[in-house]
Amino acid sequence: MISVDSIIAARDLRKSFRAKGAAVQAVRGVSIDVAQGEVFGFLGPNGAGKTTTLRMLTTLLPIDSGTATVAGFDVASQPGEVRTRIGYVSQLGGADELATGRENLILQGRLHGASRAQVAPRADALARLLDLGGFAGRRVGTYSGGQRRRLDIALGIVHEPALLFLDEPTTGLDPQSRANLWDHIRALRDRGTTVFLTTHYLEEADALCDRLMIIDHGQVVAEGTPRALKQEVAGDAIVISLRRGGDGAGRAAPLLRQEPYVRELTAEDGQVRLYVDDGGTALPQLIRRLDQAGIGIRSISMSEPTLDDVFLRQTGRSLRDASGGDPAGHDAARSGEKEVAR
Amino acid sequence: MKTVRDIGLLFQRYVTQLLRNPVWVFVGFSTPIVYLALFTPLLKHLAGAGGLPTGNVLDLFLPGILSLLAFASGMWSGFNTIFELKAGVIERLRVTPASRFAILTGPILATMLMMFVFDAVVVAVGAAFGFSVHWPGLAMLALLLGLLMIVMAAFSIATALITQEISGFAAIVNGINLPVLLLAGVLLPISLGPAWMRILAHFNPLFYLVQASRVLAAGTLTGPAVWQALAVLVPLCTLVLVWATSVFRKAVA
Repeated sequence: MISVDSIIAARDLRKSFRAKGAAVQAVRGVSIDVAQGEVFGFLGPNGAGKTTTLRMLTTLLPIDSGTATVAGFDVASQPGEVRTRIGYVSQLGGADELATGRENLILQGRLHGASRAQVAPRADALARLLDLGGFAGRRVGTYSGGQRRRLDIALGIVHEPALLFLDEPTTGLDPQSRANLWDHIRALRDRGTTVFLTTHYLEEADALCDRLMIIDHGQVVAEGTPRALKQEVAGDAIVISLRRGGDGAGRAAPLLRQEPYVRELTAEDGQVRLYVDDGGTALPQLIRRLDQAGIGIRSISMSEPTLDDVFLRQTGRSLRDASGGDPAGHDAARSGEKEVAR
Repeated sequence: MKTVRDIGLLFQRYVTQLLRNPVWVFVGFSTPIVYLALFTPLLKHLAGAGGLPTGNVLDLFLPGILSLLAFASGMWSGFNTIFELKAGVIERLRVTPASRFAILTGPILATMLMMFVFDAVVVAVGAAFGFSVHWPGLAMLALLLGLLMIVMAAFSIATALITQEISGFAAIVNGINLPVLLLAGVLLPISLGPAWMRILAHFNPLFYLVQASRVLAAGTLTGPAVWQALAVLVPLCTLVLVWATSVFRKAVA
């Protein structure tokens, strides 16, 4: 089912590598649809198969089985057509350190077929767009991490592709540079560019992505908007503390249980803890209900489930553990991914 | 047409990089000069002895140095490829529509240009110390040097793409370097060796270049050694280029 406005349509992608004599299945049947104009996040721990999938979609790695149509062309049979229409920024970047930012941009544009005269104003415009203005004339070797990353992205869009792939765009950046880069990525989306990004940062997926896919051990474990994914887990958690005296909690519990939007409820120690699908709409109703019944509220707090809760529910382990630690048994898959990341 | 344009762009890119890396330029210039300065004195008394031709020892030795330079500058190319793989440069270039053949040959041609500059220095210095210069022969030799350099560079770059790691790549390059150099008669003619050595040498492309280089440097344009070198190097060059381009196309798994 390939919809007309899908800029990426991949079906059942598979890829295996040989590592230490054994075949490792890095990607095991991944299907992806990305609509034009959205920021699509590909979330998963290191070694989950993110980079391998990305490299198949960007013509860098032959596909073992399955099909992929990117920007309207088949990746396997028409890689040249795909390459002219996509931008790709790898984890490594790959700008020439001995050349200036501007020289890098001009060469990249010319490799995409533009003439020097066409690409020079474009390079200057990009340097302004990504705040490279002051140092576009300096050699890349002198750039800071954040400056380099912005140049890498400028290199990825110098030919004005409809679709930009970003592999772990903010890994290794300080929080300020990361927030700055997020702004730039949002600006790209506002200009109509579709962005496909991989990340193992939950905050990043949450802050940037219109839709995301969670992948683990080479398979898709969940897909949807960040909001929908989080609501799938348990909706929002609301904790209401009640005024002392008169067994507020005991009176409130049966009352609130009757509300149709309340999923689960526990009452203890003058507190009612409940889960709702959508805290934003539930909260005022809850307050109104308690107010009508004359039950005094001392405080209310609401916490949203995080994407980590989503990952936890789908895979049985926390994404932070999966990314940071080295769970036994996944070493092979991990080294397979490293193989590719090179 | 597009391929030619891409080659031009990537050639330019690499020449700029070489010029901005003064260490490379310095080492590149000094190596052949060091050879000339430290090895020639050892050969002073060899001329005319043990089957060696008489005459200026540089006439015998200098073509060998030029051949060695062609071999080495080709063989070294892969180290830069490994560096560029690690830095993500190869990947960035491979996602552009640039011709795969151009991504391979642009840097090779830039390295070749640098090699010819070094060759010119070696010839100039040699001439000052008595090497007799025969221009037509040297021009023909330049063609053969270029061919061998392409063979070695394309082989080296493709090997770098396949091994991906400096350790594996260095092991292969070192393993090949020594036997190829010894079986080529670069420093001393292979005719001094036993029969089995002379037979083995015929499987070594560098051997043909060295044989031809001596004939050409002496001013003879048409000898069997020259034709043999062309007959070996032209098809070999084509073969290695086709193979290395296909490695770039399938690339780096």
